[in-house]
Amino acid sequence: MHNYELVIIIHPDLDDEAIEQSLDRIKGWITDGDGNIDKIDKWGKRRLSYQIQKQNEGIYYLLDVSMLPTSIAELERNLTILEPVMRHMIVAK
Amino acid sequence: MAEERNRSSSSGSSEQRPKRRFNTRFVRKPRYCQFCSDKTLVINYKNTTALRKLTTEEGKIRPRRQTGTCAKHQRAVAREIKRARHIALLPFTGGTWEEKIR
Repeated sequence: MHNYELVIIIHPDLDDEAIEQSLDRIKGWITDGDGNIDKIDKWGKRRLSYQIQKQNEGIYYLLDVSMLPTSIAELERNLTILEPVMRHMIVAK
Repeated sequence: MAEERNRSSSSGSSEQRPKRRFNTRFVRKPRYCQFCSDKTLVINYKNTTALRKLTTEEGKIRPRRQTGTCAKHQRAVAREIKRARHIALLPFTGGTWEEKIR
């Protein structure tokens, strides 16, 4: 098990329910790959330094995750497919 | 303009300057890497206020000769700035589009 930091930027026009739904899906993918979520930090709506998908704002979430390195690739692929997530980044701690 | 410059240079060469034993014209300030001297400073992509000081106004990473950072920490700075850029905490280029909406 390795520790990772996962930053995701969610589309700002989504309502709370849809955000919750997509977060649950992400959490599901992490736990499916024998991972643990240690902390979820909501940074809230922030101004982007440059436009992403023609949006000036984004909802930031920071997840502290411990999971197997082999399941990272699959999580990464799933995140790119998930539509509400505009941008994501996984960093090893 | 050109005339003036010629005159000043010719007069400078004709005059006998006192010889210097050491080059005192330019004294380099002793500098030390800010991250080496202060171990509590952590370079992290989330700390955008600190990283902004290490970038130029156009968003470029400032060179070591300007910031005085040592090679080891400059590598870390560059890495964290690039991470911050990826998640739109820092701009890749200057605030051109920001000016557009204002």
